[in-house]
Order: sequence, then structure tokens, then C-alpha cells
Amino acid sequence: MTALALEGVSHAYFGRTVLDRVKLDVRDGEIVSLVGPSGCGKSTLVHIAAGLIEPQRGRVANGYRRHGMIFQEHRLLPWATAEDNIAYPLRLAGVRCNARRARARAAADLVHLDRRDLEKYPVELSGGMRQRAAIARALVVEPDFVFFDEPFTALDVALKRQMQDLVIAAARQARFAGLFVTHDLAEAVRVSDRIVVLDERVRGIAGERFLSRPQGERDDAFVFATVQAFLNEDPLFAHIHDTNERRAS
Amino acid sequence: MGQVLLDRMGRLGRFLWSGWVGVAGLALFSAVWQIGHEAYGDFILPSPIATFHATAELLRAEETWRLARATSTRAIQGFALTAFLGGVLGLAVGYSAAAMRLARPLLTIIMGVPPIAWIVLAMIWFGSTSGTVLTTIVVAGFPLVFANVAEAVATRDRALEEMAKAFGAGPLQRLWTVVMRHVAGQYFPALAVALGSAFKVAVMAELLANIDGIGVALAMSRSNLDVAQSIAWVVVIVTAIFMVEYGVVQPIRAELERWREAARPWGVKR
Repeated sequence: MTALALEGVSHAYFGRTVLDRVKLDVRDGEIVSLVGPSGCGKSTLVHIAAGLIEPQRGRVANGYRRHGMIFQEHRLLPWATAEDNIAYPLRLAGVRCNARRARARAAADLVHLDRRDLEKYPVELSGGMRQRAAIARALVVEPDFVFFDEPFTALDVALKRQMQDLVIAAARQARFAGLFVTHDLAEAVRVSDRIVVLDERVRGIAGERFLSRPQGERDDAFVFATVQAFLNEDPLFAHIHDTNERRAS
Repeated sequence: MGQVLLDRMGRLGRFLWSGWVGVAGLALFSAVWQIGHEAYGDFILPSPIATFHATAELLRAEETWRLARATSTRAIQGFALTAFLGGVLGLAVGYSAAAMRLARPLLTIIMGVPPIAWIVLAMIWFGSTSGTVLTTIVVAGFPLVFANVAEAVATRDRALEEMAKAFGAGPLQRLWTVVMRHVAGQYFPALAVALGSAFKVAVMAELLANIDGIGVALAMSRSNLDVAQSIAWVVVIVTAIFMVEYGVVQPIRAELERWREAARPWGVKR
């Protein structure tokens, strides 16, 4: 079954075409990473897939029931406590107050967010705890698809690793599919089943690589070796660290 | 639930305790007043205690309460109208950049016309009725409330709105759960100012248009050269503003601004 299908999606900003007839399928339970240089349209693509941007051409077909989303910044409501923030999607869905509380707490447990911190406002939480709350907010609806828009870019290395482990564990437990935007190849190798490379010169997908080992068995040595192999030997990854996003095209 | 109640009681207690600072300020003010009284004599500036007696005497009279009620009713009606119009139109205009650009020069014009001119115009349109007072109050308070709300809407956090959209919020839900909370942060401070101006403008309009209320009473004590009574009327007005401000506006604001309180570092909290 296909959880998400993008068919001939095109998008342009001020006449500059970023994505041109992109086609991408994500199967049920599969996590696909989108990597590529800055400005290649990875974020745009995930925003289109999540329904936040209307594509100029093409269509998005989704086969999932509910989705969650995690952004680069935590995007918590500053005036609501952590618990109310986690329960926010349920509030939108019209879930009753008591049920909301119980489910928010369960989601908070899933990301190891302390019960005592649930009463606090985002300003009182540390960066890691905020991002945990943001992950819990995405998981609280029990999604079968999760959009990740560079979720851990702003975190330090140790925290980033913890958050990746959280996502890996949650994905295995809840069996959701996902689209994971990142510019960190090691992160992509750790969390995903398939890596899709976007390139601004082809204005879309340049190619894709499947990861051989199942997710539970990838240790640091495997991640390191895979990243090195991709960067040094695979021509597909030759341009992913280009940074000239302002280049006129 | 008990925790929430306790928390609320704690905040109320802290609020009441902070009243001592207010009392200290008032005591200082009275002291300076007393010095002025001793320097200039009874006629120019009656002593605080004489004013206090005059106020007490006023408060005992049935007529005072009737006048205070009349003025307060007009002020609160005008204030409610200002809050409603400013809020709704500000919200509508804030969403549209074009409307915002159109509104700016209009606001400048409205604010540029002196309030006294508005009173004269309103007197011509409505005569010596409550309509004159209401019009003047709205004209005086509306630009402030309107501009604050429109500005708040224009500077709303689009990232949060996008987040809400990602979790399936429709336009109305986004307005209610994200934009309104952001706007409230600027709406209530503006309302507090508008409330003060509503009472002041009400008295001024009553005085000039000769409409039954505290304004007229003030004019009468002026023509009787009764300075103590004039000041006593001012005290009555200030008390009315004080009651509405701390009885209605501040509690609502405090409830909505709890998270800002939480953001303040230790030691700055009170």
C-alpha cells in the first residue's frame, strides 16, 4: 500500500522553478529521507506533501489516516503549558478534555518527558524538552504518517542522537511511515529506510538509495561506513553539500 | 483542580499584598499635597483631609450616586463600543495589508482632530444627549484600540499558524486558537488605556455639552468656587475608573498573561 504519492508536483517561487514534475511514492511503514543542498526544495516538497503549500502543478494523494508534523523550530504555543501544547491537535479534533489529558500524558511518556514538566510553559523548558514536547505533539494523534522538516538541526550532537533514537523507537512501535527532511547524511542513514537525493539542477529527484540493513541493526560503524561510501564513491551524493543557494538560475 | 485553585489564590494574595505599595504611593502624594496646601492656603488648594471630608459628604448624598451612575453608564457603554469596534475592525484590517495601508492615514486624520472639536461636532449632531458623550468616547479611544489590534494581527506568528494548519486546523480554528491569543496580548493593555480615557472624556463631554452627570456637577462646584468639592468629584471619578480597571480589565489580562509571568526570572516576579 502507498501511504503517500506525489505525482508530477511542480512549484516555483517568484518565477524560479524549484521543483519540476516530481514523482515520489512512500510505502506504508517506510521512512524516506530527503537530502540535498540548501535551496534545493526539500522543505518545499515536504510542505506540499503535508498540505501546507498548494503545488502549482501536480497532485498529492495520501493513503494515510492521520498525520503529525515536526518542524525545525519547536513551534509550541507560548501561552499554553507543555501538556496543552501536546494535546493541541486533539483539541483541534474535538477530543473531550479528560481523554485529551490522558492521551497527552501517554505521548509525553513515549518521549520521556517528565510529568512535572507538563505543567510548565515552553519558556520554562530547555531546548531538548521543547523538542520532546513537539515530538509528543506529533505522536499524540497516533499518526500513521509523520512529516519531519529538519527537526533536529538546531540541537547539539548528543541531544540530536537522543531524538533520533526516540523517532526510531516510536516508528518501530507505532509503525508509521514518514518523510524526513535533513541535510545531515548520517542522520538520514540512521533513521530512514530509503534516501532520496534532491538536486536543484534537475529541479527534483536526482536519485535514491535503499539502506541494506534493517533499522534495529545499524550501529555507529555501519552509519559511518555508509556515509563515507556515499560521499566518496557514489556520484549521486557529489553535490549534496553545495551551499550556493543564492545562485541565479 | 485543587492545585489550580491554590495557584489562583496565591496570585490573588500576591496582588492584594502589592496594594501596600499603592498605599505608600498615595501617602507620599498626600504629603506633597499637604505641603502645597500649607504654602498656598485653603482657597487655592484645600488640605487632603478637607477633601476627604468633602468626598465623604458627597458619598452620603443620594444625588452623587445617581450622577456617578449616569456618568459611569455612559463611560462603560462608550468603552464597550470602542472595545468592540476597535477589536472587530482591527482584526479585519490586520489581515489585509492593503486595508492596513488605507487605514493608516485615516487614523492620523481621526487622531489629528482635537477631542474638543469632536465634542462640538457631536453636540451639533446629537444635541445634549448621551449620543454626544458616546461619540466622543469612541472617537477618543477607537484609534488606539484599532491600531493595536491591527498591528498585532499583522505581526502574528505565521510559523505557529502553519503548525496549526499542519495539524488540521481550519481558518476559524487558527483564528481562535492562535491569532486571538496573540492579539489579546496587545488588546488588553490598549483597553486599559481606553477605559481611563472613556471616563475622562465622558466627564469632559458632560461638562461642555451640559449633560446630566458628574461633568455638570463639576461645572456647578466650579461656579460656586467650591474647590474642595471639585476635587472630591475628581476623587469619585478616579475611584470609578479604579474599580472597573482592577475589577474587570486586569483580572482578565492576568488570566491570559500567566505564561508571561512564568517567563520572568526569579526575583523580578513581584
